Amino acid sequence: MTPFLLFQALLLLGLIITAILVVAFKDLLFSAIAFAAFSLLLALEFYLLQAPDVAIAEAGIGAGLTTAILIIAIRGTKRLEEKE
Amino acid sequence: MSCWILAVLVMVSLMLLAMVRLFLGPTSADRVVALDAINTLVVASMIVLAVVFRQILFVDVAIVYALLSFIGTLFIAKYLGGNL
Repeated sequence: MTPFLLFQALLLLGLIITAILVVAFKDLLFSAIAFAAFSLLLALEFYLLQAPDVAIAEAGIGAGLTTAILIIAIRGTKRLEEKE
Repeated sequence: MSCWILAVLVMVSLMLLAMVRLFLGPTSADRVVALDAINTLVVASMIVLAVVFRQILFVDVAIVYALLSFIGTLFIAKYLGGNL
């Protein structure tokens, strides 16, 4: 089962990279995009751990709803440089 | 069975390559396209993993995921277009 473990290691590496990107981006829209990628990879990880119902919930809530709500919230804000 | 796992490994490597564009991309359109590429790769690897695990239920998760995952991209596109 070595390829399986390698697959899981690559997936966890991607999870760590996207989680760092969510915090590191200065633009809120970029952070929302990185968070969408993070929840995508998290759904795949749940799927890989043989919990398909949790993966369905994560796909519905994380990928669909959370990104939409974050974008709607970002629309109500202003950028820092044009605030004055 | 091992060749299917190798196919999934290739797809996860492609996800990491798309993550490079998610990190570097100068405009937000680049990042959205990278996110959509990761989306499609996640759906494809879920279907191949259903073959690996030999369970028909896992294909349904991929179908639900493919139906729901475009909503985030749709909202980001509408936000970039300016008429959300």
